[in-house]
Amino acid sequence: MGLAVYLGKRAVRLVLSLIAVSILTFTLLQLAPGNFADLQRVNSGATNFGGVGTESMVGELESRYGADVPVWKQYLIFMKGAVVWDFGPSYKYASRNVQDIISEAFPVSATLALLAVLLALLIAVPIGVFAALRQNTKTDHATMFAVTLGHALPSYLTAAFMILLFSATLKLLPSGGWNGPEDLILPVLALSLGPAAVLARYVRSSMLETLREEYVTAALAKGGPRRTVIIRHALRNSLIPLVTVAGPLLAALMTGTVFVEALLRIPGLGLYFANAAASRDMPLLMGTAMFFALILMVTNLVVDLIYGLLDPRIRTVGGGSHDGH
Amino acid sequence: MSEDALLSVRELRTTFRREGAEPLTAVDGVSFDVRRGQALAIVGESGSGKSVTMRSVMGILPRTARITGGQALFGGRDLLAIGDRELRKVRGREIAMVFQSAMEAMNPTLTLERQLTEHLLWHGICNKAEARKRAVRALGDVGIPDPEKRIRTYPFQLSGGMRQRAMIAMAMVTEPALLIADEPTTAVDVTVQRQILDLLAELKNRGTGVIMITHDLGVARYFCDDAVVMYAGRVVERAPMDRLLDDPRHPYSVGLLGSGVEVGGRDLPLRPIPGSPPDLSHRPEGCPFHPRCAQAELPRCATEQEILTIGPGRDAACWKVAVDA
Repeated sequence: MGLAVYLGKRAVRLVLSLIAVSILTFTLLQLAPGNFADLQRVNSGATNFGGVGTESMVGELESRYGADVPVWKQYLIFMKGAVVWDFGPSYKYASRNVQDIISEAFPVSATLALLAVLLALLIAVPIGVFAALRQNTKTDHATMFAVTLGHALPSYLTAAFMILLFSATLKLLPSGGWNGPEDLILPVLALSLGPAAVLARYVRSSMLETLREEYVTAALAKGGPRRTVIIRHALRNSLIPLVTVAGPLLAALMTGTVFVEALLRIPGLGLYFANAAASRDMPLLMGTAMFFALILMVTNLVVDLIYGLLDPRIRTVGGGSHDGH
Repeated sequence: MSEDALLSVRELRTTFRREGAEPLTAVDGVSFDVRRGQALAIVGESGSGKSVTMRSVMGILPRTARITGGQALFGGRDLLAIGDRELRKVRGREIAMVFQSAMEAMNPTLTLERQLTEHLLWHGICNKAEARKRAVRALGDVGIPDPEKRIRTYPFQLSGGMRQRAMIAMAMVTEPALLIADEPTTAVDVTVQRQILDLLAELKNRGTGVIMITHDLGVARYFCDDAVVMYAGRVVERAPMDRLLDDPRHPYSVGLLGSGVEVGGRDLPLRPIPGSPPDLSHRPEGCPFHPRCAQAELPRCATEQEILTIGPGRDAACWKVAVDA
């Protein structure tokens, strides 16, 4: 019961936020210099994908929104479509609807993101725990130095380096494309290093904090084997706050990663978004922006739900269960 | 050293490593006996080393601490010499510990069942089903109503008093011979304090040896048979409890009695001890209490401190006591 009310409230907030995002994005796009048709004319077909003529494009644009329609009405027309998952055709990829582009590209980005965050966690948790258990030793400092390096390294540099190493030199992996599971390896590796570094820092500091808790000492005083106490009492509770870091990281990666997708020729959302922005492709920009906002908010909701699941203190407050009283 | 000693601590020394400074001696040559089925109070202000003393015996010191000397004889073995592997079998099974605050000493994300049964399993005392039965019984024994139901709750779902009882049940479920209670009434309401003390007194009457670490002589006198008064990491006086209360010998003990609200009870004005306990990194030479002592005679008090036996089971670390006696 409490959960239903909670979810209801969150849903209302989500819808209100989406409306705010749409107004903001729409306004900003109106204020941005240049429009799709102008840019197409300047480029005079040289980079005009699909060979669609500028005049017909403008015509299509007019037929959908009406050229003389005031801006606020254009917004309402867009929103009318948006609520039923119809963002209209893209300007740049004129043969396709925005929602079809998103439906096709999002699973690609989401797959990469999920795998990358998963791998990042698998790398980060042991490293963080390892460093925390050796706090202020040389091992700890060396590990954290390496982690900082990993953090500072941008993913496109990692990707470029890995292409050089694994594809060009060792000829082990394809240098890009999206044809089979082997194409996942390079982007997932490149994308996971940064988040792994971020997460390892969190695991370390969270673990250090938990190790100082009296209940860890108390568990040792009960005769617990050190390893068991560290895993059951310290690690478990250290990982709960990690969810709040991993969630937004996942959302950020799921909405596409421009550089890595471009470098490795992956048909993900990030590339479409970047191209849409460059060419002032209004429907695609609006569509992807709103979709990003939605993903981010849904991720945050899921994070909060998982948090409640992991921490009984939050579960009983948020879920309204009053068992045991 | 007496025949019926359950635990004999001799000349215990514990130091803490510090960055860029000499190690700090927190416990400096502490000796005492706990007799079988009796209660010993270790009394002292915060920072006097009473907690570190008992944590040294239990082997649950922080990483920066090191035991640099002494013995802790328990059941014919020296707990300080048997190594962590063997000590773990004693910890939580034969010697159990109760902490100041159950809120901090119990893991917030594990149920009472988990926390009351895990050490039964670690020590291989019984199987899981039997462990649960014992845990329910232990909760009932400490006066928690409806233990079958309460065992499924989390610590935060209990009231402060119930939580403190649950922690005592957690310590007693393995039926230890010795219970170390580290300020078990400091963090609870006055009304609950009395209940907790009654509970500990009952455990003692059933044959469990108890060490009560406290800064409060009013708490210590409640059921303790003997007392050890500590100051700046050293024992300043050892005496049967009633003798200490009637006739304290060391000037610090006299001051401690005079400054306690609960102990006086004779409408005497409170006389706080002037000054404050020394910073252990600048421990005064000789008797560490001499800078605050009204009866100090220089230079003798600033150069030597010897422990003098002044009666059966009584000694005090002040040469003036011998002169008076």
